Amino acid sequence: MKEKDGYIDCPQQQVILYVEKEDGTYTPIQTGSYITKNYLDDYELKRKHLEESLKKQVLAGEVSPVYYFMVLEELTLSELAARAGIRKGKVKKHLEPGYFKSLQQETLQAYADVFNINVQELLQLSTAPPDDPTKLNPEA
Amino acid sequence: METLPFKHQMAAHCESGAVTSLLNNAGLDITEPMVFGISSGIFFGYFHKMKSFTFPTFIVRNKPGSMRSNLAKRLGIKFHTEKFRSHEDGMRRLDELLEKKIPVAVQVDFFYMDYLPEWERVHINVHFIVVVGRKGSKYIVSDSYFPKLVELESESLRKARFAGGSMSPKGFLFYPESIPKNIDYRQAIIKGTKKTCFYMLKIPIPFLGIKGIRKFAKKIVLWPSLARDTEHLSHEIMKINVLLEDQGTGGAGFRFMYATFLQQASGMLNNYEWSKLSKEMMEIGDGWREISLFASRIGKNRDLGQDRMKELGAMLAGRAAAEERFFKRLKKSL
Repeated sequence: MKEKDGYIDCPQQQVILYVEKEDGTYTPIQTGSYITKNYLDDYELKRKHLEESLKKQVLAGEVSPVYYFMVLEELTLSELAARAGIRKGKVKKHLEPGYFKSLQQETLQAYADVFNINVQELLQLSTAPPDDPTKLNPEA
Repeated sequence: METLPFKHQMAAHCESGAVTSLLNNAGLDITEPMVFGISSGIFFGYFHKMKSFTFPTFIVRNKPGSMRSNLAKRLGIKFHTEKFRSHEDGMRRLDELLEKKIPVAVQVDFFYMDYLPEWERVHINVHFIVVVGRKGSKYIVSDSYFPKLVELESESLRKARFAGGSMSPKGFLFYPESIPKNIDYRQAIIKGTKKTCFYMLKIPIPFLGIKGIRKFAKKIVLWPSLARDTEHLSHEIMKINVLLEDQGTGGAGFRFMYATFLQQASGMLNNYEWSKLSKEMMEIGDGWREISLFASRIGKNRDLGQDRMKELGAMLAGRAAAEERFFKRLKKSL
């Protein structure tokens, strides 16, 4: 890749790219992320749609908030189990709203730590009104 | 405690970056591509079904941790390494080392690096950062993916160092203990390259090396049947771009950095053949970059029919053929 083609203006996400200078030597340059510059809005749109459809499932009582975050953060059942330190069979049950309701504080905390949120945010998910967008965003 | 005198530098990759910057700060003049090449960093692997991934994925580098260990072996550098059972011990040990004015590299789950934008942060247990100081409840961190030194809450660092799951860090930390005065780079480069050729051409596992690229080329047509819906498929296809370009590769899935290694090595070894090979690798990288751009474009346009998947597969098969030719030539040149 030629140096002149390597520069991308994207201050939000800087990366190092190895390019060919005019004298033929290869060198690292600090530049921006191509995909973030061009398609971040598309990524966010898809994430929003996914959040909305998962949220609907939670409110309809089909799945639990644990399921919501597991899918959103792209974790498999066994990966989530290993990270939370909870047996796989149990995690499977916690994906169902019925079992989720009876979870102890300690277990909720273990999940919240994996998702990097607080327990309140985990619990709120199944009660927030669907038209309140701030509740849909786990980082808000 | 204050921040240790540490020259922060961005790098293409977190592991080769952390190793390079620790060595540079300890007085050894070595570049990231050199670290990458000697440690046989370049690789390929395709994973169609794994219990730790929700969707098929691929890797473009060797096993996490092996850049450090391979480099140490080949250059005679000694790294002190430690893992911990308890969080408290692991955090205390880090503080002790900082007290002794030793910058320390730690393995972390990328997800908790909250100074990075949210869209970048995924659960990957094999990120490496260098901790260079502490200020109250915060640690001062040198992360190759960030332009300057940053602060990280000690609670985030603790969670990140002790995240569970596959390849969990278990508080792993390392720093260079001794660096030999006279290093035989020639031997190291040749050994590293031999191993690289073995991994790419000969490794007897059907989804690794060149065989892995071929497997990817074949299996990509199955991706639509594995996705929840079009948007999910689009997300996964666009992740090809992220994995090749953004997740710390120096561009084109490490191929540009490997070309740079070969160019630097050809100078050190006075090997004209390698300078030609470095050009060839740069061109191979351009082909990978095209795949990245193609994937992001069809993903964005939701243009994800079987024809497009086949096209992508053909582009990948093209890379497999080019790399097979390349690594055969490289092997012959040794």
